[in-house]
Amino acid sequence: MEALSDEDLIANHLAADDGASLWLQELFRRHYTKVILWCLRFTGDREEAHDLAQSVFVKAQRHLGSFRGEASTSTWLYTIARSECMNWLKARSRASAETGLVEEDEESSDPDDGPDQVLEHQRSVRLARSLLERELNETEKLVFTLHYGDDVPVETITRLLGLSNRSGAKAFIVSARRKLARAITRWRASQERLNS
Amino acid sequence: MADLREREDRQLFKDALSPKPACATPFALDSLRRASTPPEESAAIRKHIAGCVRCQAELRLLAEFEGGAPRPGEEEAVSSIEARLERRFSTGQPGTPAKSGHSTAQRRRWPLFRRFQAGGFAVAAALLVAAVAIGLREVRQPELGAVPQTRMVLRSAEVTVLSPADDVREAPAELRWQPWASAASYSVRVMEVDRTELWRSETGQTAIALPPEVRARIVPRKPLLWEVVARDANGGTLASSGTHRFQIRTQP
Repeated sequence: MEALSDEDLIANHLAADDGASLWLQELFRRHYTKVILWCLRFTGDREEAHDLAQSVFVKAQRHLGSFRGEASTSTWLYTIARSECMNWLKARSRASAETGLVEEDEESSDPDDGPDQVLEHQRSVRLARSLLERELNETEKLVFTLHYGDDVPVETITRLLGLSNRSGAKAFIVSARRKLARAITRWRASQERLNS
Repeated sequence: MADLREREDRQLFKDALSPKPACATPFALDSLRRASTPPEESAAIRKHIAGCVRCQAELRLLAEFEGGAPRPGEEEAVSSIEARLERRFSTGQPGTPAKSGHSTAQRRRWPLFRRFQAGGFAVAAALLVAAVAIGLREVRQPELGAVPQTRMVLRSAEVTVLSPADDVREAPAELRWQPWASAASYSVRVMEVDRTELWRSETGQTAIALPPEVRARIVPRKPLLWEVVARDANGGTLASSGTHRFQIRTQP
């Protein structure tokens, strides 16, 4: 069975029409470690990680019929694991907000913003994208994307990326923000020169 | 004032880092790594990644996931969870309906179960544990979902989709399905393969046009999912199609 590819195992499992065939067990066995590690690092808790990893494999089993091998099984499991973990984070964040532990995020953009404000915001977003790409190193980009793009808490990012420095992901956020502040100052000066 | 500034910055970064329609999916990134993307498409994706912080991060996360080896201190937890999953998925029988409300974290709070777990030496006690465990399985295990989903397999509560399905030559103009006898309306969703919702709508018909902004997201070789749910007059669910995948297949 070890000689079979993941695709062969999936095909055999689907053909067997057996809920927990040996093919499926072998397929999952090949990928347990990476899914468990991902869930463990996301949650920082063994029981939560077990529940999440189990949920990932239950979903994988349920949707195996629609997986057509256009990507590797590993990437497919990654998309499920990522989505499950993000949902877990959101649920936890909502629960904390309900109990008053975390202030709920408010949208800063006002739906009544006029076209000028919308254009200004779009311009700022484009500038921010360009500065993030140009000024930050690889780890800062990754930390920033997870923290600001996906609302992942800094302690989770620290665990996920195995950051061993004393302040973990927070240090990368601080250094990135300093770099961005300096870049914005330079950009403003250049704009003033252009306008004068 | 500082709070307001922090909140504005946060929103600005969030908008700057949120995925854009041109961003590569994990599947496209994987395809790129495996060199299974056509050269011209591959060049376009690489060019996008070079200037996109989001895609660069996604690529690194995917590598992080796939390179997954336990770090010092993680081995024991990984082995223990792995053993439990191994048992869970080797039951050799289709699962029972999902009971998502009973997680392991909740089971930990059941002292009687803990006591049975802790002391299982006598044969009688072991048998009792087994009996309890069999009983518990009914309650605690989520569904194994054994039946593979195939497009033409009709089930008793399944709406049959007509199009799009599988490979299509161009972005579909509409979604179509067969009528469900007592349906008053239908809810329709289009999703990314990771189930991120792109669009949803309601209709009383058995077809619905896709708006231009959704059609613009349907690009070659990017699989998407869609689903239709039949509703009664009170909005209750009568039947669902399950998710169906489609994508534009480029000519070789």
